[in-house]
Amino acid sequence: MTAIPTQDAAEVYVHREPSLLRKALPWLVVAALVLAVGVLAFYLNKSMEGRQKSFTIYFVERGWVRFLLFLLAASGVLALTSLLGQRIGMARTGRKITYSAVLGVQLTHLFLMLVVLVAIYPLFYVLIAAFDPRNSLFAFPDFSNPNILYKTGLLPRLEVLSYENFQKLFEGVAIPLWQLALAGISGAALTALGIMAIIGRTGRESEGLNQTRTWILRILMVAVAVLVVFMGPAQFSGSTNESKFLLSVRNTLLVSGITGILAILLSTTAGYAIARLRFPGRFQTLLFFIFIQMFPVFLALVAVYTLMVLLGLSNTFTGLILAYSGGAIAFNTWIFKGYVESLPESLEEAAMVDGATRWQTFIKVVIPLSGGILVFIFLNQFIGTYAEFILANILLTGVEKWTVGIMLLSFTQGQFSTKWGVFAAAATLGALPIVALFYGFQGYFVGGTVSGGVKE
Amino acid sequence: MTAIPHPPRFGARSNVPPEGTRGVLIAVLILAVMLGGAVLIGWLLSGLTARVYPEAPPYMILIYGVAALLLMLPVVLRLFPWMVSWYYLFPALVFLAAFTILPIVLTVNYAFTNYNAVNSGNPDSALRTTATISADKRVVTLGETPQSDSVQQYLRCETPNCTGATLVLFDDQASVPYKARIASVDGLQITLAAPFTTDIEVARATRLNAISYIGLANFREIFAKASRALVPVFIWTVVFAFSTVTINAIAGLVLGILLYNKNLKGRNVYRTLLFLPWAIPAVISVQMWVALLNQQFGIVNKGLGLLGLAAVPWLNDPLWAKVSVLVVNLWLGFPYMMTATISALSTINEDLYEAASIDGASRLQQISNITLPLLKNSFTPILLSGFAFNFNNFGIIYLLTQGGPDQQGREATARSTDILLSWGYNTAFSSSGQSNYSLASAIALIIFFLTLAISLVNFKAAGVFEEARK
Repeated sequence: MTAIPTQDAAEVYVHREPSLLRKALPWLVVAALVLAVGVLAFYLNKSMEGRQKSFTIYFVERGWVRFLLFLLAASGVLALTSLLGQRIGMARTGRKITYSAVLGVQLTHLFLMLVVLVAIYPLFYVLIAAFDPRNSLFAFPDFSNPNILYKTGLLPRLEVLSYENFQKLFEGVAIPLWQLALAGISGAALTALGIMAIIGRTGRESEGLNQTRTWILRILMVAVAVLVVFMGPAQFSGSTNESKFLLSVRNTLLVSGITGILAILLSTTAGYAIARLRFPGRFQTLLFFIFIQMFPVFLALVAVYTLMVLLGLSNTFTGLILAYSGGAIAFNTWIFKGYVESLPESLEEAAMVDGATRWQTFIKVVIPLSGGILVFIFLNQFIGTYAEFILANILLTGVEKWTVGIMLLSFTQGQFSTKWGVFAAAATLGALPIVALFYGFQGYFVGGTVSGGVKE
Repeated sequence: MTAIPHPPRFGARSNVPPEGTRGVLIAVLILAVMLGGAVLIGWLLSGLTARVYPEAPPYMILIYGVAALLLMLPVVLRLFPWMVSWYYLFPALVFLAAFTILPIVLTVNYAFTNYNAVNSGNPDSALRTTATISADKRVVTLGETPQSDSVQQYLRCETPNCTGATLVLFDDQASVPYKARIASVDGLQITLAAPFTTDIEVARATRLNAISYIGLANFREIFAKASRALVPVFIWTVVFAFSTVTINAIAGLVLGILLYNKNLKGRNVYRTLLFLPWAIPAVISVQMWVALLNQQFGIVNKGLGLLGLAAVPWLNDPLWAKVSVLVVNLWLGFPYMMTATISALSTINEDLYEAASIDGASRLQQISNITLPLLKNSFTPILLSGFAFNFNNFGIIYLLTQGGPDQQGREATARSTDILLSWGYNTAFSSSGQSNYSLASAIALIIFFLTLAISLVNFKAAGVFEEARK
């Protein structure tokens, strides 16, 4: 993977003063950006002129002045505590600590807290709205309340919360005992994994703990897979769309899971062949894969739609999965090829000297070594498919086949009414599996995606 | 490449593949023959099955085709043992051919036709008329020709005698259509090319709304209305993709550099929390933002009210809607850029900073002279692939604004926040586009070429071709 440095040893670094234009370039870019933002602000401001103040929103006159004053005061307090911290730190460690470093860290904390507040508060608000039967995403604020946060409607009223929205999602859902038992097992396994993650944090890693974790993970996967495969539309007798929400989650998990497995099956052999086998046409095939990767399947959506209608596969999961499979191959093959190239070739050579065929080498040597990258390929495909919308929206027309995204859209852009309370509850439940996967496999996911992004 | 000691023996069953371009061509030819043969066998068998069981699903062609391929594999391997290398690639190639190449070819094909909801290749059920058939089952007499003066006009024939055109016949229930070829037309009497032997009582007939080639008419339509759709949509697509990548990258860089500070206690907590927008599927969170950005009741405007700022028409004003798209995409995208920054920073050698601080460089100088130049290498491909992704980022546009709000002087399918892809989608699948599939395919073809150009630049910069050549 590492490039061999090509420069001669005799080549010495000679300092060249960059030209005037090159020096000025960053400043020109900044000036252009400022100008663009200024023009945009001017037009945005112009579009705001003459608009009535909304009667649904409580205004605090000059609230921004108070906010700035608050920030200033907070910075002042931090400046004082930093001074204290610097003195105490210097006295305790005996090393020289600069004041600006301590203050910088303190101000960074303040800034990051504000960013977290702005970025995460919407999620918290939706989470609370999920438990609020009064449709609080679209409610008047409580103007008579003396507390400013209730008066503006920023803080939700906690005393009215109930499970009503969630009950609507489970109306008329018949879950047999064995499914409940499986769900219980999955829940227990998840809890156990969570506890083990906390134990792992404290640093007491051991072989036994690892083995238990592997087993719990396997049990969890089997339980969820059985649940997803054997849950059917017959169990959902409710007449409303929202009572079929759980079915849509099951549909999405089924489609995403099978697409993920298909991605592994199709891309591992291809990636291995391109990385290791030398045959005429290898480079051309790779170029072809790269070329194909430029065209997401959904660009040809009319043709995909027509093709699936012709094959009688519209409104089926098979059709949707097949449509996804075309898009799953090129990128994952590229990733797996890169991974195999990073493995030492000597292992495979040793196996072949011992009489193993190419195929046996691939199955018995390479695949067991590629657990991490296979997990990444599966997860990446799974999460990507879970969030895919355009093909699912075109191909799946019946309520019983809908995926989560389409189901949610029917709540918010419904023909007769928008059900924001139900939407919030459904969004919370629908996002949970992916959030859990994301945080559970953070290491695999972040590393793979970022390096994949670099290679893409 | 070292020279082969003795020339490969063709004809004999050699393990060594033919060399060079010749080898590639022979292999591709063999694969194409296998695939074509499998499709042919599948088509024939599924046709036969449909004769025996009329209810047999159309996808039987796939099952027969795959079965035929599986049977062919060992036979071909006997004949050409060196093909075994290609067998590793075979599953991927088959799926790509069927579900990527074929749709692309079909898209190119449709772009030059008049395929839409009316001309869908199906019998026209609205213009059905009564019909009787003669005793020798050769001559069909129509009762009338709805909305047209002659049979020729009714059937939209290309020749004056309608030779070779298709007539669709029904029984009294008008449930199952039967197609018949026409030999000639005389007044209301239509002579069929062959006796109509199917055992039904012919009572009704209609024309076939065939899909026909119309040359470059779709492209002419696009360019004739360019100022109402193509040009503004293209400009917004580029502006959107460029500015969203820039904004996300700046936000991600700032946060990443701040969080990569070893002295910052609890930075993992911040990181975990700021990760959340990335972890939630965009298909869910974008719809959530529709509620949060509502002008009257949204939490964003309630928050602005607390600061004493006016209620912003986030999704109801053409300009503000564009800002909303950028803001929501920033919320969705900054965690990825932040993570990318952090992992790129961790590859930078610590000694550089140490040396710089010994030389008396301030933290700001270190960032601008060490961090940013070194980040440039790993950020270029990320930015370019981000641009390519956002160029076709249908999800956020469709789920957040549905392309809206309306804007003066625009097509109904290309509103103020529509990007090229959502314009194509609206043309084919929304109520405003009237299911104009062929026009949508022409738009897709234009997007193909633009995507191709962007991706070529992207891959060139990322060194993908160099890595492939190894």
